[in-house]
Amino acid sequence: MDELELLKKDWKKQDANYPELSYNEIYKMIHKKSSSIVKWIFIICLIELFFWSLLNLFMPEKYLEIYDKFNLKTFLMITQAIHYSIVIVFIYLFYKNYKKISVTDSINLLMQRIIKTRKTVNYYVYYNLILYALLSVVVNLIMFSNPETLVATLNPENKIIDSSKFLNIMLIAQIITFFVVIGLLWGYYKIIYGFLLKRLNSNYKELETLND
Amino acid sequence: MNKELEHKFISEFQQHQKIIHKVCRIYTNNKDAHNDLFQEITIQLWKAYPKFRGDSKISTWMYRIGLNTAITLYRKSKRTILTQDFDTVLHKIKSTEYDNTEEEQLKLMYKAIHQLSDIDKALIFLYLEEKNYSEISETLGISEVNARVKMNRIKTRLKTILNP
Repeated sequence: MDELELLKKDWKKQDANYPELSYNEIYKMIHKKSSSIVKWIFIICLIELFFWSLLNLFMPEKYLEIYDKFNLKTFLMITQAIHYSIVIVFIYLFYKNYKKISVTDSINLLMQRIIKTRKTVNYYVYYNLILYALLSVVVNLIMFSNPETLVATLNPENKIIDSSKFLNIMLIAQIITFFVVIGLLWGYYKIIYGFLLKRLNSNYKELETLND
Repeated sequence: MNKELEHKFISEFQQHQKIIHKVCRIYTNNKDAHNDLFQEITIQLWKAYPKFRGDSKISTWMYRIGLNTAITLYRKSKRTILTQDFDTVLHKIKSTEYDNTEEEQLKLMYKAIHQLSDIDKALIFLYLEEKNYSEISETLGISEVNARVKMNRIKTRLKTILNP
């Protein structure tokens, strides 16, 4: 088959045309884990969004009744809408980071992008923690500034209870819940994102030694 | 982790990196895909390197891992083959309109190779690399007879693709 012979000749000729990677370039290539870490950050952020949306979707209406009594429903709806838009912006940023990191081929640029990704992740974690804290404080302030409504809602059968004692217990319970939830959220972010950031950091340090 | 191992790997890889480029040339048809595959194979080689005991030549080992990576990767996505078909049709029209220059013929050959199955690509690649049947059988893990039979089939298949 003449064509195959022709091809063989051309194949050999092509040998000279392939780019030669330097030692450093190969080193960088086998250490290029950053893009896969950043990909995971992006994926986990997406999963989080779906998880919370699903939870919201299946939340029984009854649970939300209490907010209705305090005219908080619209307020909460609006905050939720804003929150989701912000999360989508974060997802977009993570995606952009991922895309950029996976095509970067200079060590300096890669290091810069790792730093940028780290910043975005930190902002994302702070944003979520602060949002929860702020929202809890606001909602509780509103609820406790109307103690009559609060007692009435939580005690619909009008049993005889000591109102002030009841409110005190409620307040303490709310404060404890607040700290437990903040702790859990913080722990979650610390474990998941902390783990990914740690790997990103060690990769960064390796690149740094390479650059010296 | 192991700096010495790393250094050894990089030096050896550097010497034989053309092999990987050539694997990419057979399995991809644009620069981005080529670079992606190159990087993927490099990472796979590095991962597999601690298990490489030197009972075959480093180049043979690189051929094997490179081809395996390309084959598994392209099993997952058949995209390139789909776009390929369309291109090939266009080129066929062109080639009947004009004289079959050498360059045109080569283009057609490469297109035809891209239409082959993943395993057949590996065989034709090793053929182009002028490997003998015993080397082909060692690299791909098939018997020599099988390699011979397959190679003949591929040649016939290429002929039918080129002269339908």
